[in-house]
Amino acid sequence: MSTILKNNKKLIYPALIWFAVFFILPLAIIVIYSFTTDYVFQGNRTSFTLGNFLTIFQKKHYLIILGRSLKIAAITTFFSILFSYPVAYFLAKKTRFDRVLVVLLMVPFWINYLIRIFAWKLLLSENGIINQVLQLTGIMDEPFKILYTQTAVILGLVYTYTPMMVLPLYATIQKIDNSLIEASRDLGASRARAFFDVTFKLSLTGIFAGTLLVFIPALGSFAIPAILGGTDSVMIGNMVENQFFHAGNWNFGSAFTLTLAVLSIVLILFYSRIFGLETLYKSREY
Amino acid sequence: MKQGKPVFLTIYTVLFFLYIFAPLILIFIFAFNRGEGYNLPLRGLTLNWFSEFFNDGMALRSIKNSMIIAFISATIATLLGTGLTIGLIKGIARYKTLFITVLMLPVLMPSLTIGIAALVFFRTISIPLGIPVVILSHVSICISYVFLIMMGRIEGITLETQEAAVDLGATWFGSLKDVVLPVIFPAILAGWLFSFMISWNEFIVTYFLIGTDVTLPIYIFSQLRFGISPKVNVISVLITLFTIIIIITINYSRKVYGRIRSRVV
Repeated sequence: MSTILKNNKKLIYPALIWFAVFFILPLAIIVIYSFTTDYVFQGNRTSFTLGNFLTIFQKKHYLIILGRSLKIAAITTFFSILFSYPVAYFLAKKTRFDRVLVVLLMVPFWINYLIRIFAWKLLLSENGIINQVLQLTGIMDEPFKILYTQTAVILGLVYTYTPMMVLPLYATIQKIDNSLIEASRDLGASRARAFFDVTFKLSLTGIFAGTLLVFIPALGSFAIPAILGGTDSVMIGNMVENQFFHAGNWNFGSAFTLTLAVLSIVLILFYSRIFGLETLYKSREY
Repeated sequence: MKQGKPVFLTIYTVLFFLYIFAPLILIFIFAFNRGEGYNLPLRGLTLNWFSEFFNDGMALRSIKNSMIIAFISATIATLLGTGLTIGLIKGIARYKTLFITVLMLPVLMPSLTIGIAALVFFRTISIPLGIPVVILSHVSICISYVFLIMMGRIEGITLETQEAAVDLGATWFGSLKDVVLPVIFPAILAGWLFSFMISWNEFIVTYFLIGTDVTLPIYIFSQLRFGISPKVNVISVLITLFTIIIIITINYSRKVYGRIRSRVV
């Protein structure tokens, strides 16, 4: 047995080395860049600094972008919970076709999200489908202008990431023992009370897992604000892209990237300490 | 719990699925619509956009590049990832949770940080950007997904089968090749398909690493930034069909695996 274990263990090294070189090492280099003043590895004179981070947190311009990204991600998460909870509940407790429906739900997820965002552009633009329908049917005379605003970005993000919320919610609600709910009803709880005190509380794990799967990518989103957003919806991702492709300040860009990475890693670790990562990876299996 | 039909919930769920699918249906309709823009009412059927798409050299090259990248990335990631999963689940006892947490990072972290870090890394060691570099990064992301997909499926296999094979005179490699691999083959296939789809759809990391070349998501993005060409509808239709085939394959492989496992265990 032990030689088998020892030999099996060796199988991890090729992947681990690849992972260390092409994933961990790049992250380490970003860390070095964010704490230095110049391009360390090009042989330039450089020194340790906290200046890159101070700029982020002191310059109003950057602080606004950071705050806005957090706000947009939070609103997106809130609406995705609101929209998906009833669906997750229905799938988990009220239908026999849940497996098929869950797979169906994942179909758009596997179609490139740029295409789905493109569809939203078609819907929302000034001479887009919704405006045309509203005018043809005489509901509205003037077209509404929503494309290239923060609202459009949030609509796009909610649409893109809501399925990610449904999955962990569905998985946790499904595991809730019906007899617990029945017991609370037998003991005199109203249906609403039974729902909030039993079902909802027990599904919190799923809500947090979903929050992680929605909040983090929404916070780091780049293509959606670039396509649907305007000047009032520049997010961290667009800011960072600009630093690397146009402004050309790697140290500052790295610091901004690291801030995003640290925010997400803290959330992940916080979650895994409390709930373990199990719910998370189970829900990413589809 | 079985009191009455949940009318509200049923209607809500139907609306929800409509919400999820309506934009895609819209794209399908306009891919076949005659006439330039996106004007209602519709003007009748045409296949013009398809022929225009297939005459667009850039679009075709982007598809070819995406295929190459996804195929190579998925294959390397599945090879490495399979070893990793067997080694972690059926080998290592200590630090397992730490390993799993770190391996989950590419799945959970914003792709933006992965893309930027990779860009800085490759520029620092002076490796030119382009398809090979994209593959290197896609593999490290896909390894995580292979691990994610295979972990649960490998846990079900007992070490005793491998031990029995060795007791009966098989070498360790033989026990792996003839006992473990055949049983987990459907999981390997699912891991490969999953990786293929991840790499095929991957936009942000590719965007930072592709340099002057083009992949399908990059092509779509450039089309979207500067207008809304109906050619994008055509790509969407083709991708949707392709995607549905892959999803059916993944689910079928899962079923076959279930059958095999119930026979073995």
